[in-house]
Amino acid sequence: MTRWKALPVLLVVVALLAMGAGSGGAGPARGGTLTMVIGSDPPSLDPHRTPSVNIAHAVMYETLVTVDRRTGEFIPGLAESWEVSQDGTAITFKLRRGVKFHDGTPFNAAAVKTTFDRLVSKETNAPGASWVGTLTRTDVVDDLTVRLVFSKPYAPIFSSLRISFLAILSPTAIAKMGADYGQNPVGTGPFRFKQWIPNDRIVYERNPDYAWGPAHYKNRGAPNFDQLIIRIVPDESTRVIAFERGDIDILPGAPARDARRMMREGKFPFIQIPTTSGTYLGLNVKKPPINDVRVRRAIGHAINTDEVARIALEGLAVPMLSPIAPTIWGYWDGVKQFALNHDPDRARALLAEAGYRPGPGGAMMKDGKQVEFTVWTYARMTNVRVAVVLQSQLRTAGIKLNIEQMEPATLLASTQRGEHDAILISYGWPDADILYYFFHSSRLATTNRVHYVNTQVDKLLEDGQTTVDTTKRLEVYKQLQRILLAEVPWVPLASELSVNFNQSYVQDVYYDKFGNLLLLDAYRTR
Amino acid sequence: MLRYVARRLLHLIPVLLGISFLVFLLVHLVPGDPVRVMLADAGSPEQVERMRRQLGLDRPIHVQYASFVVRAVQGDFGRSIHTRRPVAQEVAFRIPYTVRMAVAATLVAVALGVVLGAIAAMHHQSALDYGTMVVALAGVSLPNFWLGLVLILVFSLHLRWLPPAGADSWLHLILPAVTLGTSSSAIIARLTRSSMLEVLRQDYIRTARAKGVGPRRLVYRHALKNAMIPVVSIVGMQFASLLGGAVIVETVFGWPGIGRLAVDAIFTRDIPVIQAVVLVAAVIFVFMNLLVDLLYGLLDPRIRYG
Repeated sequence: MTRWKALPVLLVVVALLAMGAGSGGAGPARGGTLTMVIGSDPPSLDPHRTPSVNIAHAVMYETLVTVDRRTGEFIPGLAESWEVSQDGTAITFKLRRGVKFHDGTPFNAAAVKTTFDRLVSKETNAPGASWVGTLTRTDVVDDLTVRLVFSKPYAPIFSSLRISFLAILSPTAIAKMGADYGQNPVGTGPFRFKQWIPNDRIVYERNPDYAWGPAHYKNRGAPNFDQLIIRIVPDESTRVIAFERGDIDILPGAPARDARRMMREGKFPFIQIPTTSGTYLGLNVKKPPINDVRVRRAIGHAINTDEVARIALEGLAVPMLSPIAPTIWGYWDGVKQFALNHDPDRARALLAEAGYRPGPGGAMMKDGKQVEFTVWTYARMTNVRVAVVLQSQLRTAGIKLNIEQMEPATLLASTQRGEHDAILISYGWPDADILYYFFHSSRLATTNRVHYVNTQVDKLLEDGQTTVDTTKRLEVYKQLQRILLAEVPWVPLASELSVNFNQSYVQDVYYDKFGNLLLLDAYRTR
Repeated sequence: MLRYVARRLLHLIPVLLGISFLVFLLVHLVPGDPVRVMLADAGSPEQVERMRRQLGLDRPIHVQYASFVVRAVQGDFGRSIHTRRPVAQEVAFRIPYTVRMAVAATLVAVALGVVLGAIAAMHHQSALDYGTMVVALAGVSLPNFWLGLVLILVFSLHLRWLPPAGADSWLHLILPAVTLGTSSSAIIARLTRSSMLEVLRQDYIRTARAKGVGPRRLVYRHALKNAMIPVVSIVGMQFASLLGGAVIVETVFGWPGIGRLAVDAIFTRDIPVIQAVVLVAAVIFVFMNLLVDLLYGLLDPRIRYG
């Protein structure tokens, strides 16, 4: 599950407050160190040997395709242009000329092939291999042309292509370093790796040769900072204090309560961005009493997602109407008319239909027992708060909810075996194809934690992967969202917002629509 | 004495074997699996099987354990499943950090504890005595994570004297050492007090006092040394348990020590790392015990080692 969570794919919506206005004068100042903070070490800086990628990879690696920070459209990264074959099973990339890896190795078609061959090889067994879907081979057409060949069309590929799992690595470094490549990573990005003190910091230095920045930057050459430090501070309160003291220049994803306070105090510029993460209540459709769809619908109508976002998540979230968060590709606005709106009377009526009768204290009873189920969740503050809000909402509809907290690896293993009634958890993903992992019957023993089997849904999920035409593909996901809201294997709850702060002396820090930090234009005024 | 040390070190072998076997069993009994964590559970069943085979996790438990022991004896602890770094490197890198913090915390604990305890004993049943013991009680009761955050709030954010996180300089060591040392200092203070009270009631102290030895000399020269025997043993134990308390303090202060390595390894079910950390902790525990026993002899010549 780390993978969905560690990849907060976000969308920039508002940039508010005192951005300090870079008052006239010459261009941005050069030099200095930029320090930012994250909560935990990436397992490895080798994108093929880690279950999650984050900013630590993004500052030193580049991908063939990237995303325009304003329009959200795919724009050239290391590839200058690309062409998808008629049948959708091949993509040919023209590569950028003159790009060099940090170790001096030239970037070319062979480097792309070496990287992708390593990513999909059985020997590597890369956690990120699923991101390339049905990729079967990579062909070098000429020095600067490369073709990805798929066994059948894989529609989500462009959402994947810009993620660091698919970054291009130096073939020389891979060969030289072997198993230790993760501690000596070599990419083409604006910063090059210098030092990693585990659980403390990762240090990068400016790549002076960098001259191939994506078109959405003013500065397309080397970054302004001499050095970039990513500090690792696990405790969120300590992170906030280190930022407020000025030890840290950029604080991404401030904890909700501190974010609220700091937004109110107005001392630091900030930006609030929706994420592609979604928090949901997953209902095990095999377990009584929630194996009855009427009971599941009743649960859906008893829940008030507005309250979940406002109270449990401190207002730093938007209610989610569909299993797909509004920022994920494939979300359909028309889903509103099918959403499980808050309606406790409707919930009671549905329970009555399922044979439950009002008992003492408004409890809905059948055969002397109240309708009751248990939700499992991580012992993480926000999850627990959401669970408690749900508990009180369900009580007003006569449903009893028990809450059980556990440690992540135990939760994931036990839910795979279907021992649970319900699970409260979050995911983050750029594309509606995520539904395949959660609802396809082939994923029963793994990520299909609601143990949902529906042949029509299976078929649609497969179509979603192979339909390259985006209009037709969107139709597939519209249909899927309608079915899932009628069958209620999930009650979608809320999608969190990320609040990112920076010191006012740091200017021109941008985020793309996936929440990735863009640093080429950024500079310090002191 | 040497024979005694040798015999104690020989005891270490069955202890380590027993501990490593228990840990091995526990990690396998607990639900959750390192391969699923590593593949972020998006992996296909074939991918999971393949990785399990690559890591040798498909073999029966006793075979895995035997191969672990055989390699560990040769000093090879394998690679971390999660980070793919050599386990020995992961552990060796963090030990100096944790030891530095534990030593600093012990210094804080002993300095505070012995002084407070001695003061309380010398002013037995006075307001000073009760006051000191209330402070000590508070010290034991304050949870580390809370005390740590309060110290950060006061000394880092408001006074701006000390950094809240990191491990660059000795300045970074102060707050974690005080946080970690406080609860031990309270225990040491209480023990010093009761031990001092007992010693102060002994005949030789009365004799010394009758001979006209001044109160200061009486305490420092005659009483304190004898009162220290039980205190030394608790300091030894506290030092070892500081390594455990370090888990929380290291998280609050972003200190790259062995406690965080252990927690991360447990969350990711990283069996080789868990094994190594537990073994290191066991070795430290045993050595501290031995050291304490040897220190007794220095403090009290009557103690003999057979």
